[in-house]
Amino acid sequence: MINSLRAELLKMRTMPGVWVTFGLAFPLTVLGILIVLASAGGFPGHTFYYVSSLSQRRRLLGAGFFGIEVLAPIIGVLCITSEYRQKTITTSLVLVPIRSRVLLSKVIATALWSIYIALLGLVAVAAIALPWNAALGGVTSQVTDQIGAVIPGLLASAVLLGLFGLGFGTLVKNQVAAILLTIGGTLILEGILIALAKAIFHYDLNWLPNGAGAALAGDIARGFGGGGGGNGPNAFRLLTWWQGGLVLLAWGVGPLVLGYFTTFRRDVT
Amino acid sequence: MSSGPTTRGLPIEINGLTKHFGPVVAVDDLSFSVAPGRVTGFLGPNGSGKTTTLRMLLGLVHPSAGTATIAGQRYQDLENPTSSVGAVLEATSFHPARRARTHLRMAARAGGHDEKRADEVLGLVGLSGDAKRKIGGFSMGMRQRLELATALMGDPDVLILDEPSNGLDPQGIAWLRDFMRYLAGEGRTVLVSSHLLSEMAQTIDDAIIVSFGQLKAQGTLAEITKGITGVVMRARSPEADRLAGVLTQAGIAFRRLGHDEIAMDGVTPEQVGPLLATNQIVLYELAQEGGDLESVFLSLTSGLGFGDVAAAAPPSAPQSPSAPPPPPPMAP
Repeated sequence: MINSLRAELLKMRTMPGVWVTFGLAFPLTVLGILIVLASAGGFPGHTFYYVSSLSQRRRLLGAGFFGIEVLAPIIGVLCITSEYRQKTITTSLVLVPIRSRVLLSKVIATALWSIYIALLGLVAVAAIALPWNAALGGVTSQVTDQIGAVIPGLLASAVLLGLFGLGFGTLVKNQVAAILLTIGGTLILEGILIALAKAIFHYDLNWLPNGAGAALAGDIARGFGGGGGGNGPNAFRLLTWWQGGLVLLAWGVGPLVLGYFTTFRRDVT
Repeated sequence: MSSGPTTRGLPIEINGLTKHFGPVVAVDDLSFSVAPGRVTGFLGPNGSGKTTTLRMLLGLVHPSAGTATIAGQRYQDLENPTSSVGAVLEATSFHPARRARTHLRMAARAGGHDEKRADEVLGLVGLSGDAKRKIGGFSMGMRQRLELATALMGDPDVLILDEPSNGLDPQGIAWLRDFMRYLAGEGRTVLVSSHLLSEMAQTIDDAIIVSFGQLKAQGTLAEITKGITGVVMRARSPEADRLAGVLTQAGIAFRRLGHDEIAMDGVTPEQVGPLLATNQIVLYELAQEGGDLESVFLSLTSGLGFGDVAAAAPPSAPQSPSAPPPPPPMAP
């Protein structure tokens, strides 16, 4: 198992698509920082303002979530679909003929690379968001005090969103289709479905992947793609963090198990 | 890689192996065995089920029925599969952005081998100078060598090669031939599929011939070709008419191929030569056709049939060079 995992990690480390994805984590986090600081104040003459409320401080610290929700599923998709796209699946399965072992290695490798993306987001926050917030007049310690509240949800959502991408990649195999399904599905289609469900049925469609990820990530996801938050009768109610975690886990494991039995175990001709 | 004769090879057993792809029967109740220490050719026309059989042997394709084992175990059940079996299946199983050495390091990791082995096997196949090049820039021949290097990573007891000479230049083919003989000489089991019969005839000790997924013949190369020696004698003579008369008198069946050419069926040179000399018939050419592997192959796989020669003869001592052949220089 360790051998197979080490091979998977080397494969991912030498895959250009993974590095492109990794490279996007930093600018997407910066975009997240811009959104948080732009929405923090609302005072005339100030485009950006320092964060003050608990929710704002957590969102600033977790600005990497903006990149995670886009990139972690892509990491998962790339991990499995590149094997079919580049036809390396034959070599992979000859080298490690027990397929469940190969897939489990991919689960762990995807989780690790998703965590790397989350950590890169935290580095971007430390390098840009905290000094910027301080320059705007914010108190850095009030933000860093929330590390314990933010990081577990951030890392857990990264791992499970990566697993979600891997699951769909296992099921679909075609790289382009899998990326469109995971990213287009979660960022575009999910938003449309949520809006329609709310408008027509007054129902909070909060158990789709991105909504579940936002629930798991908690406060940090509000205002990003995960939606959620707000008060009043029209507020979109997220699941609780543990419900979100379980639902997102199901969104990952379900397609993965289905893909394993319908696609991954098929003949490699 | 060890040197000198050993008993390290493992036997391959195929029993009643069958594979259906929907209504298509790709492999039909196929049974044969492959002995260690010999190069065994797995021969058949395109679409005869060779690749499917090899993939079933390696656990890539699930059999509809039957078993394919190495040393009595399925490939996926072997404790250290890449130390037992090395496989060359297709020269396209590479990520083009990876460097040759990285690909082999990945293979070493997956099989639990020392990553330093990557440089050793690159040297064995003559790709040391290309270790840092991206595989996307490799020629087909270089990819075949890299695939072979991957197969040799675990210093395996069994080599399974599917059309390994595809894309190789004549130098490369000659090198591969010597390399296979060297590996078999070490006691390893070498099973190589091909449709390049003239090439195989120079390389293999044993042959397994399949057509439409069915076994047509199995045995030593000598045994398979012996059964049909003297199938056709072809004579070219300015006295073709007189020759036809002599043959008729002697009771030898013949066919006119042209105004000066006659084909005689079922006779040997020893029978025809004295007859022609006695009758003082001028000859431009007298040739025996149909006693080689290619003729056997064509006959067996086109349905004409040469009878069942499936009974395998006891293995004869394989010939092998005492050292691995130096790889020929690789054109960039």
